Amino acid sequence: MNMRRFFVIAGIVVIAALLIHFPGRKLARTHVNGKTGVEDHPLLCTSCHIYISKNPVIKKLVNADYLSPYNLAVAKDGRRLYVVAQDGNALLVVDTEKNNVIEKIAVGKMPYTVVLNNDGKLAYVSNQWSDNVSVVDIGKSRVIDTLQTGNGPAGMTLSKDGNFLYVVNAFSSDVSVIDLSNGEEIKRLGAGNNPSSAEVSPDGNTIIVTSRRAIIEPYGKPVSTEYTVIDGTTRRVQEHKSIESAHIMENAAFTPSGDLAIVTLVRPKNLVPSIQVEQGWMMTYGIGIIEQKENGRTIQLLLDEPNSYYPDPFDIVISPDGKKAFVSHSAVNSISVIDIDSIRAMLADATPEMINNWGNNLGISFRFVTARIKTGACPKGMALSPDGKILYVTEQLEDRIAVINTSSLETMSTINLGGPDRITVARHGRRLFSNAGHTFQNQFACYTCHPDFHEDGLVYNMASKDMGRNLTNTQSLRDIGDTAPYKWNGKNATVYKQDGIRFSTVLTRTEQFSYKDLDAISSYITRGIHYPPNLQYNPDQELTVSQARGKAIFERSKDFKGSEIPVNGRCVTCHPGPFFTNRQMFDVGTLVPSDDSILFDTPHLNNIFASAPYLHDGRAQTLEEIWTKYGTTDKHGIVNDLSKEQLNDLTDYLKSLRAPEYESKSSREQQASFKFH
Amino acid sequence: MKILKKPIIACLTPVVLTCIFFLASCSQIHNGSIIITRSGIQQPGNTSDSPVAEQLALINPDKPSEAPVVLTKDFFTARSPRVSYDGNNILFEGRKTQNDTWQIWEMNINGSHLVQITSSPDNCTNPLYLPGNRIVFSKASASNGPGTTQSLFTCKPDGSDIRQITFSPYSYASSTILKDGRILFISKQKPEESSSSLMALRPDGTKAELFYFGAKGTFQRGNAEETADNKIIFTESDSVSGNKTSLVSVNYNRPLHSRTVLSSGLSGDFKCALPWKDGKLLVSYRESESGNYSLYEFDPQLKSIGKPLFENSGYDITGAVLAVASERPKKLPSEVDMGVKTGLLFCQDINIHNDQAIDGKMAFNSSKRIEIIGMDSVMGIVNTEEDGSFYLKVIADTPFKIRTLDEKGNVISGPCDWVWVRPNERRGCVGCHEDHEIVPDNRRPLSVIKDPVSVPVHINKVVEKKISLE
Repeated sequence: MNMRRFFVIAGIVVIAALLIHFPGRKLARTHVNGKTGVEDHPLLCTSCHIYISKNPVIKKLVNADYLSPYNLAVAKDGRRLYVVAQDGNALLVVDTEKNNVIEKIAVGKMPYTVVLNNDGKLAYVSNQWSDNVSVVDIGKSRVIDTLQTGNGPAGMTLSKDGNFLYVVNAFSSDVSVIDLSNGEEIKRLGAGNNPSSAEVSPDGNTIIVTSRRAIIEPYGKPVSTEYTVIDGTTRRVQEHKSIESAHIMENAAFTPSGDLAIVTLVRPKNLVPSIQVEQGWMMTYGIGIIEQKENGRTIQLLLDEPNSYYPDPFDIVISPDGKKAFVSHSAVNSISVIDIDSIRAMLADATPEMINNWGNNLGISFRFVTARIKTGACPKGMALSPDGKILYVTEQLEDRIAVINTSSLETMSTINLGGPDRITVARHGRRLFSNAGHTFQNQFACYTCHPDFHEDGLVYNMASKDMGRNLTNTQSLRDIGDTAPYKWNGKNATVYKQDGIRFSTVLTRTEQFSYKDLDAISSYITRGIHYPPNLQYNPDQELTVSQARGKAIFERSKDFKGSEIPVNGRCVTCHPGPFFTNRQMFDVGTLVPSDDSILFDTPHLNNIFASAPYLHDGRAQTLEEIWTKYGTTDKHGIVNDLSKEQLNDLTDYLKSLRAPEYESKSSREQQASFKFH
Repeated sequence: MKILKKPIIACLTPVVLTCIFFLASCSQIHNGSIIITRSGIQQPGNTSDSPVAEQLALINPDKPSEAPVVLTKDFFTARSPRVSYDGNNILFEGRKTQNDTWQIWEMNINGSHLVQITSSPDNCTNPLYLPGNRIVFSKASASNGPGTTQSLFTCKPDGSDIRQITFSPYSYASSTILKDGRILFISKQKPEESSSSLMALRPDGTKAELFYFGAKGTFQRGNAEETADNKIIFTESDSVSGNKTSLVSVNYNRPLHSRTVLSSGLSGDFKCALPWKDGKLLVSYRESESGNYSLYEFDPQLKSIGKPLFENSGYDITGAVLAVASERPKKLPSEVDMGVKTGLLFCQDINIHNDQAIDGKMAFNSSKRIEIIGMDSVMGIVNTEEDGSFYLKVIADTPFKIRTLDEKGNVISGPCDWVWVRPNERRGCVGCHEDHEIVPDNRRPLSVIKDPVSVPVHINKVVEKKISLE
């Protein structure tokens, strides 16, 4: 090749490259901007075509089957751990001497917790997405029976004599009492909203059931969350009590003497304008101490510190000597160590004014928190060895167990449960979602307002312009990948935009996500969160008679007087399956003077029964109220010709709606005909 | 092929030489080098009543016998060095000649590529690198009225886009950037004031709040530093005990209640302190007034000082920074919108204040209104709501104080320290001059159900419009 030819060819290549590069880059920029809804996302094909792809082959390649240990129990001799692997749908048996998994026993879907019977030969595993409890013969390492429960079984506890199992049903908000002599549910007791745990007192006389969600009240009323006290002798509800200004009471523990019950809790600030994070303005976290005596007080103490927060307290365990309590904080990878005698000393001299102050004081934790132990990603359930010398902690997003010496408060070792070695993009996104590192001073995580990847049932004063305006009902994040745009005003076309610069400016108020992190969290939120099955209202795809009538009303084109209903007045127009949203913006007549003038993004309706309160500002406490108290103008669908019975049918049908895979092909085709603009 | 070799060699040679040059430039700095500020330099032409000039110099503590490499030979005086987070540049304040004012300068870590950042008739001092490609420094501000008080300003690294971020008659000096992204700065009301305090605010000037308040007669000096174990260390002089300068630490997690005097067993004075190796501190210390300040290793656990790491005969070492890269603090987003002329201030309950100790009563419901006091006149008296809350729309970047009044107009408490809101800032207070460890109670304030009260109250309506930048 002579030099001239070389330079000619090189010149042609350069010119061709330039001709392709600049228009090509502009084209790519336009394409990426359109798909991400933002103008600054890097030109990375992987963001959309790999990480949030729905292609089954790609999904299989980029994701991995993690175990996600959640709760655990320790054998009486301390030689075995029984670990609930939530994403693995399994109970793992761990040898604590060799620190390895020796059995993996398949149980139901989305197992929640495990308790051992009194002789340690049986393990009961609640399966939240199967509505049952697996009875595992530990000696044979297999499931020998399945006990039916209410909807969404979560926390459990055994009666002191071991004859009855109390199973908290998180979705149906009640408690199944199961007679273990025959495996029959003998009664169903009412509980608080979205109950999560049950704990029996040392004398067996009391069972406390905690709740996650607050009692639904109109915005402006104080937030309070119920715990239920069950008489362990009669197995009847003794009383429903509530804790003020708190919610998300994930777990409870009794001191060995039984004088105190301690619950973990979150103290939200949803009634205060969300204008800053400084000084505990958005969220605080602590424990509730319930004195177990006549006229016993309930005292709330924050576990946070000024400038440092300890979000999402999950589990609490108390040492056998009653001296120490340990609280796991899943959002900051930390365990708080609490000196219980210090708390007793505080309570001895406490006046009502002091108790009132303590619930809002960030400095109070210095009186009783003696240490913070760092853990791996997302510590959840904990258990102590029988002698109290070892604390086992599930590190949910590490697929391992931390083994902590309770004297030195140091992590002695970790037990690898055998999950995938690699951290996928979506898994990284889940870690980000669950961690408070992306909010100012670690004050809250995405999970804090979206517990269980759903929503917390609260309405916030987001104060986007002026304070006191634009009340916002938290929305669920389950299966939202195909329901864009997001926010009630539909301003965010993608999760990239939702979690972009404005998100960090007005909400997290710290450095925004890096693009790598944004890809990860978008991947997880868009494709990684799924609806639980709607076993309560639609367990077998067969609609009840009432639901079928309601479906006809939902899909009707004529009212009961025979008049044609305008297309925009029909339920199905705006709420077509499979997600029951046409992803369009509408005025449904629910704006109030304190709202900015907006149209509303049509919300998706699957599992809508689990998302009370309703409407953008949460004013409707039930589905019925949408069309009775707050729907008198027929702007939100033509319904004013309906009788009370017909409205009941309609709401019965709405409650039956569930994940898209159960919907008919025609509905999916209808959905596909709507294009998002 | 022989023909091809020549152009390839011709192309590669300058590339290789350039790489060698840059590698050589970078390798000039030893990883453990320290940039010191030393004073005691007698500059030519310096008169006896002039302050002692200072110099920046590079030392290698592993080779204490080596003479410091002076980085600011061309300056009459220079001090307050800070190293960029990537470890490549030094920001400092300096005066080229005796008659110059203090200005901010930047140079490479090896002293090359000197660039003047600020060019102001006023002194510009205490520069710090902000995360996010800006710089914060202190400068006299005309808006502060008479006197020589200093405000905080930020600018781009080339000195452009200067923005004032504090607005009050107090004097402020930037001290350090906290890992959470906020600026920690020293606040002093007046030169003759009896003490100073540490405050924190966001780099856009919003959410200014008290961080640490020392005992009466104490003054924080120089730069504070945040350690790996979340301590803030700084030096503090005490006018009560003859201006002895102590080494103090507070916990980031509880700065108002965790003051520890690390140097309590030592008789000497400290000039500066910074994190060093193995949890130790590097400090500038002198045992007695007759000696010179030298660099020592200090053990904060044992509260003991070791042997000198570096002494510079005839000089006081008044400051030191490590010539290494460091963890960049969080880059905080800004809510400031210079197209808006006002900010919003909300207080949950004026009856909550700092007299109420953690174990005391919370409120006694006596205040019914507030008086907003500007620098020159009263800006208005506003009734509070039944729940003690108030909600104001205030002209931005204008200092004011608030005091609480009863129904008859008698003063109940206050006034508080100077407050300001930035354009479009929305700021909340739990109470008036309240304990900063108190968080808001979760209740819906009555005041925010209504529109905010515009302040000054004689302005019926604040017209939002563009206002000019500095």
